[in-house]
Amino acid sequence: MAGRSPSQSRKASRIRGLVLRLTAVAFMLAIAYGGFLAWQATSEFEGRRWDIPAQVYAAPLELFTGRALSAEDLVAELKRLGYREDPRLIGPGTYRVGLGRIEIATRGFSLAGDVEPEQLVAISFVGGRVAALRDSSGSRAAIVRLNPLLIGSLFPSHGEDRIIVAPDEIPPLLTDTLKAVEDRRFDSHFGIDPIAVMRALFVNVSSGEIREGASTLTQQLVRSYFLTNTRSGFAAWWRKIREAFMAVALEVRYTKSELLNAYVNEVYLGQDGARAIHGFGLASQFYFGKPLGELELHELALLVAEVRGPTYYDPRRHADRALERRNFVLQRMADEGLASNDEVQKAAEQKLSLVLDERRSRTHSAFLGLVRRQLSADYARDDLERTGLVVMSTLDPAVQGAAERALDKGIEALGKNAADFQGAVVVTSPHTGEVKALVGGRDASYEGFNRALDARRQIGSLIKPAVYLTALESGRYSLASVIDDAPIVVELDKRRTWTPSNFDDQAHGLVPLVRALAESYNMATVRLGLDVGLEPIADTLQRLGLEKKPTLYPSMLLGALALTPIEVAQIYNTLANGGFRVPLRAVRSVVAEDGEVLQRYEIEMTQAADAGAVYALNQALVQVMERGTGRNVRAQLPADIVVAGKTGTSDDLRDSWFAGFTNTHLIVTWVGADDNRPTGLTGASGAAKIWALVLAAVEANSYNAPAPEGVDETWIDYLTGAPMAARCPDAIAVPVPATDYYPRVFGCNGETGFGARIRSWLDSSRR
Amino acid sequence: MKTRSAFARGALLAYVALAAACATVSPPPRPTPTASPPASNGSPAPSIPGDGRPLPDSSTSSRFPPPSPQPSERSEPPPRDVPAARPQSDASGASGALLEQSRAQRAAGSLPAARASLERALRLDPNNAAIWLELGELELQTGNSAQAATMARKAMTLAGRDARLSARAERLLDAAE
Repeated sequence: MAGRSPSQSRKASRIRGLVLRLTAVAFMLAIAYGGFLAWQATSEFEGRRWDIPAQVYAAPLELFTGRALSAEDLVAELKRLGYREDPRLIGPGTYRVGLGRIEIATRGFSLAGDVEPEQLVAISFVGGRVAALRDSSGSRAAIVRLNPLLIGSLFPSHGEDRIIVAPDEIPPLLTDTLKAVEDRRFDSHFGIDPIAVMRALFVNVSSGEIREGASTLTQQLVRSYFLTNTRSGFAAWWRKIREAFMAVALEVRYTKSELLNAYVNEVYLGQDGARAIHGFGLASQFYFGKPLGELELHELALLVAEVRGPTYYDPRRHADRALERRNFVLQRMADEGLASNDEVQKAAEQKLSLVLDERRSRTHSAFLGLVRRQLSADYARDDLERTGLVVMSTLDPAVQGAAERALDKGIEALGKNAADFQGAVVVTSPHTGEVKALVGGRDASYEGFNRALDARRQIGSLIKPAVYLTALESGRYSLASVIDDAPIVVELDKRRTWTPSNFDDQAHGLVPLVRALAESYNMATVRLGLDVGLEPIADTLQRLGLEKKPTLYPSMLLGALALTPIEVAQIYNTLANGGFRVPLRAVRSVVAEDGEVLQRYEIEMTQAADAGAVYALNQALVQVMERGTGRNVRAQLPADIVVAGKTGTSDDLRDSWFAGFTNTHLIVTWVGADDNRPTGLTGASGAAKIWALVLAAVEANSYNAPAPEGVDETWIDYLTGAPMAARCPDAIAVPVPATDYYPRVFGCNGETGFGARIRSWLDSSRR
Repeated sequence: MKTRSAFARGALLAYVALAAACATVSPPPRPTPTASPPASNGSPAPSIPGDGRPLPDSSTSSRFPPPSPQPSERSEPPPRDVPAARPQSDASGASGALLEQSRAQRAAGSLPAARASLERALRLDPNNAAIWLELGELELQTGNSAQAATMARKAMTLAGRDARLSARAERLLDAAE
C-alpha cells in the first residue's frame, strides 16, 4: 500500500488538530461547568446554615403555691409540651399522676439569659389550686417554671420552616437508622453509590415497580437544595448527572459528619398549610410536640419513614401507610442490630401517638401575626425569617385555647342565624399590657383574615367611658351628678340636625351619671358629651391609647367610630390599669441565635388619666354589670366576684362588642358579619356571652382595685341620684372626690331629721 | 349601713353555695366580701402536711360553676363594699421569692436580670405596690426618672392606706422629680 499523499496527510493532521482543539475546549468547558456546579453546591451548603426563621415561644407556665390551677389543667399543659407519663419518672420531660398530686421531671431551659434548671417537683392540689410545691429533697419550692411551649415561627409565606439541631443534639440512633434505611454505604462511598444503583436497577426491573431508590443521603441533600420536579425523559437524566456531580463535589469539600448534620436539618418531612416542615428538629415538634432527644423508638422510626415521602406517608392523612412504612423502618433497625428484636416488637405495636392538631403552630397564626407586627418596628423582614432569632412571647396557651373554644361555642349558641357570623377575641393582662391570647376568627386554624388586628368596625357604646371619664376629670361632674335623659336635637349645620334616641325609645328623665352609663342611655350621653366638648373627649381617647385622632362629629359620642379589636383592647387596658397606659405587647424579648439578648420589651408606663376619675369610672362599669346592660351576662358568673365591663352595639345591630375586666384579665370580644350586614345582636346578646365564656374559663378573679387617695364614697339612689341611706332599696355606693360635699341622709326619701335617724337605728337593730 | 341583714346574707350565701355545683363542701362564709381572692395577693394558701393529703375542708373552687338557672325574680346582688385597700406590707410567697431574687441580682450588679425578675413577680401579683416601688427604684438607678415617677404614682394608687408604702412611694416620687 502506498503511503498517503502529502496533501492527504496534511488534511488528516489538520482534522486531528481541530478535533484535539475542540476536545480541549469541550474539556475546559466541562471543567468550568463542573466548577460552577461545585461552587453552586458548596455555596448553597454554606448558605443554608443560616436560613432559619425566628422561633416563637409562649410564656412559660409558672407553678407556685396558691396559683389557681387544677391537676387536669396541669396535665393538659404537660401534654401540650409533649411530656410523657412515666411511672418511673425517668429523664426530663416525664411526669406521673398520684392522688391529688403530680410529680414532674421538668426539662429546664436557658433562654433570654434566663436559666431554669431541670428538677424533680411534686405539686399537690386542693380545690383547684396549687396547695404545695416541693422539690426532690422534700423541701418547699417557691416557684418553678415549665419550659415554654414553642408556638411557631416567623417563616416566609409559602416557605420553609425549620428548627436547627446541633450535632450533639442529634441522637446517634437517628443517624444510624437513616443510614440503615436510606444509604447503607454512606460511610464508605464518595457521594454516589454504584453498588446501590446496580441493585436498585435490578430490583426495580424485576419487580416492575420502584421499590428501592439508589440516591445516597448526599444526593438527597443536593436534591433538596435545588428542588426540581423533572421526573422523566432527558431532563431527568441530566438532573441525575448534575446531582451526582454535585454530591461528589460536596463529599470532596466536607466531612461525612458535616454532611449528615446538614441532611438532618434540611430534609423535607411534612407540610402544614403553607409551611413546609424541614429537618428532624421541627418534624419532632410538628408530629410529637417534643424535642428530638426525647423521642421513643417508634416515634423516631416514623420520622425516618417520612423521609421517603411526607405526602404519601402523611401520618395524619394516611395513618395506615405511615404505620406500615414505620414498621418497615423498625424491622430494618432490628436487622442492622440497632435495636433488639424485643424492643422493635414492642415499638411496632405502638400507635402513631401524634400530638394533637391544636399543638400545631398555625393554631396560633393570629397571635403570631401580632408578634410579627410588633417586631417589624425593630427588625427587617429578612432578619425575622432567616437569622434564627428566638422570640419569647406573652402568649398563655391555656387562655388561648379557652378563648378559641369560647368563640366557637359562643357563636354556635347564638342560633342558626349565626352560622356565618364571625368574631374576634383579645385577652390581655392589664397591669403589664401583655397580650395573653388573640383569636382572629372562628376557625382559629385558618390562616386568613385576622379580625382581631384588621377588622375595623363601629364601636357603638364602647366609646361612652371616654365621654364619662372626660366629664369626671373636668371636676364638674361626679357619678352622683344628675343629667337629663330627655330628647335632644343637635344642630350639625344650618340645614341638618341629628336627633339621637335611646335603644328602648324611652326618655328616662333626670338620672345620675352612674345610671346613664350603666344603662347606656344615649340622650343623656350626648347631652353630657356636648357639654364637656368633643375635642376633650377625642383627647381622652388618645390619652387612653387611640393612635389616630377621631373626626369630631357629634355622632362620635355614640360610637360612630370604627376601631379594630386590638385598638379597643388598648383603650380599655388603660382603664383596667387604673389610668396607666402601657403599650400592649406580644413579645417579651428577642434573643440571637448565639444566645445573646438583643432586645427586651419592658413595661413602659405613662399616667394617662387621673387615678381618682378612672377609679370612679370603673366603679360605674361595675354597675353596668350589676344593674345595667351587662346584668344578664353577669348572672352567668359566680355571685362573689366583681367584674367591670361595657357593651357596645353599632347602628342597625351590625356589630356586637363587649369589653370587660377583672384584676388579672381584660377581655375584648366582637361578633359581626364579614360583609357588615345586620346581625340582630346587641352587645349584650352577642359578644357579652362570649366574653363570659372566656372569663369563666380563665382564672376567677375580681376587679377590686383599692380606692386611691382623695376619693370618698357616698350612698345614692341608683334611680334618681338622690342621697340615700345604705339600707334602702336601690342604694348604691359611688366614689366621689373627697373635696366634694355630700349630705349624709338617714332615710330612703332624703330625710335628714332626728326622726329618720331614730327609725334608721331601729331598722338596723331589728334586722 | 354596709350590711344588709345577717339572715338575708346567710340565705344568699347558702344559695351561692348550692349554685356552686362542683363544690362538695360549702365555702366557709366570709364575713366581709372585700377580701381579695388568694391568687392575686399571694396570701397563704391551704398547706399540705407531709405527703400531700388533701385537707378536709376545701377552699372555694377557682373555676366557675356551670351556669346555673337564676331565680326568676332577680334578687339583690350580694352586698359588696367599695373594696378597701388590703394590708400589704410586702410580697409573700412566690412573688416574695422573686422580689428577693431581684434584690440579689441587683446587688450583684445584674440589672437586666433584676428587672426581669421584678416583671415576673408583677405578672403573678400585679396589685402589689411593693413590687412596683422596687421596679421604680430600679428605674431610678438606671437613670430613667420619668418611668420611676410613673411607677411611684402607680404604687400610690395601690398602696391605699398603707402608710409605710405610701411614704416610700412619696420618697421615690420626690427623688424622681
